Amino acid sequence: MTASGDGNRVARSSGSSWVRVHALALNTFIEASRNRAFVGLGIAAVGLVASAIAVSQLAIRDQAARVLVDFGLFAVSLLSVVIAIVMGVILIFKEVDRKTFYLVLPKPVRRSEVVAGKFAGLLAVLVVAVALMGAAWFLSLWARDVPLNPDMVKALVLVWLEAALLTSVALFFSSFATPVMSGVFTFGIFLVGRSIPILEELLRAKKGVLVRSPVARTIAEAVTGTFPDLSVFHVGKELILGVPVGWDYVAGVTLYCAGYCIFFLALGMLIFRRRDFV
Amino acid sequence: MTPAILVEGLCKTFRPPFRLKKVRAVRSVSFTVNPGEVFGFLGPNGAGKTTTIKVLTGLIRPTAGRATVLGGPPTSIQVKARVGFLPEQPYFYDYLKPTELLDIFGRLFGMDRSTRRRRIHELLEAVGLAHAKDRTLRKFSKGMLQRVGLAQALLNDPELLILDEPMSGLDPIGRKEVADLIASLKARGKTIFFSSHILADIERLCDRVVILDRGEIKAEGRLDDLLAGGRWEKEAVVRVRPGGDGPRVETWPGVIRVEEIDPATLRVVASGEAFNPVLQRLVEAGFEVVGAGDRRLSLEALLMGLTRRGDEAREASA
Repeated sequence: MTASGDGNRVARSSGSSWVRVHALALNTFIEASRNRAFVGLGIAAVGLVASAIAVSQLAIRDQAARVLVDFGLFAVSLLSVVIAIVMGVILIFKEVDRKTFYLVLPKPVRRSEVVAGKFAGLLAVLVVAVALMGAAWFLSLWARDVPLNPDMVKALVLVWLEAALLTSVALFFSSFATPVMSGVFTFGIFLVGRSIPILEELLRAKKGVLVRSPVARTIAEAVTGTFPDLSVFHVGKELILGVPVGWDYVAGVTLYCAGYCIFFLALGMLIFRRRDFV
Repeated sequence: MTPAILVEGLCKTFRPPFRLKKVRAVRSVSFTVNPGEVFGFLGPNGAGKTTTIKVLTGLIRPTAGRATVLGGPPTSIQVKARVGFLPEQPYFYDYLKPTELLDIFGRLFGMDRSTRRRRIHELLEAVGLAHAKDRTLRKFSKGMLQRVGLAQALLNDPELLILDEPMSGLDPIGRKEVADLIASLKARGKTIFFSSHILADIERLCDRVVILDRGEIKAEGRLDDLLAGGRWEKEAVVRVRPGGDGPRVETWPGVIRVEEIDPATLRVVASGEAFNPVLQRLVEAGFEVVGAGDRRLSLEALLMGLTRRGDEAREASA
């Protein structure tokens, strides 16, 4: 064993932050794509096509298209959320548990870049996942002669954005909590986020618990004012009713999503930066 | 000259999960590693070696005191770019091939594609893994993984190498190769800081050592000085008076043991500090002193003499 190498020939600059984040994202993507979970995803996509067609068979004749659109989009959204929460919660824990961070963190990389790299890698995984499931959904629509339209692509973009937001939440929790706790907390935020329109309706109502109890009202106002409203990512009704979904709406929701992602990732980075890897 | 590693008053306290009492893993440890040195970090399990190494590699922050590496904080990106690190029993992304792993780490060091390719090829050849470059790491044996660990530690051609148990998991040939590697790196002016349980390797390779036990430094210095025994043990070879019942020398203060070379000759081993009074007393008691001098210890004896494990072993055998 000889140690060849010449200090002049081996670059020892630390490179740019972007290059490092890209390398870490690439590793995350390779890990996910070689994971058995991706095989499971393929099976789930096939199951999605089959179940969408099966459910539409049960519908009244002129409702079959509506069922296919609604059920298909719901299934893509649900699977994306599951992937986002599970992978977001597991990835950092796995690195700590298997001590692979002992090799990565002593390299010239900031801890914030590690979190950013994990997030970017998971976003890429979600792009592939949503694209695969979207293709399966389109296949089920095509098989039942339901016309495809560009708004369906926008609906998939919005599904991906919701999954991205939940990924940032999962990474934030997994920067300090166990996978089970992180999963429970993230799922809790998901449930609250999907319930925001109901809460807002209750707040607008003239009677009910939120009118009778000032404490409950204050809590409900705080929740609706701070938690992400995940209903903005769902345009299933618009697709069914033929209401156009503009790119300006998608752009607005993207900004909304980016704001929350930056907030949760910044908090996660702050905690991760101070963490000891014993 | 800026030290390669400077540790001053380093303390690290942990609170184990679900326990109120804190554990002091490292207590006020100070030492300096000079550029170009091979520095050994010795001690039994639980001595605080890996904790100290984790501070030096930025994995944990000290509770008190400070550590600088190549003149900067261990967490600095500029510092980390000049350091190579092999953790104890390295864990890898087992879904990657060694070429992929080294490629990702090469990107973290800011290497361009052609440099990465060349360096990966060189290193896999150097650690004897060129034949296995297309296998995923999950199919590697423990010894092969240790070699991958060495390759990734050398990827950036570091000025300072921090190796935590680099011989662990290697067969005798592998150990010899790693020892040769360390020697060749030293010849190229690299600084090497390594911990090892294999004392023969430490004795063979290190210029200076620190011996750590229960989080505290028990000895530090040049290996030759520590092993020469001047500070630790000296011996006198004496002739017993014919027909006389000599005094019980082994009970004298400072005497560590008395060995019978033959019926008329004894070897009296005493601690370095107490040796002169013991020698004086031997002469006064009528022994003929035929020789006296330093007793060169083995590193194992030195370690046993300084650490709790050594105390326990002596108590068990008593």
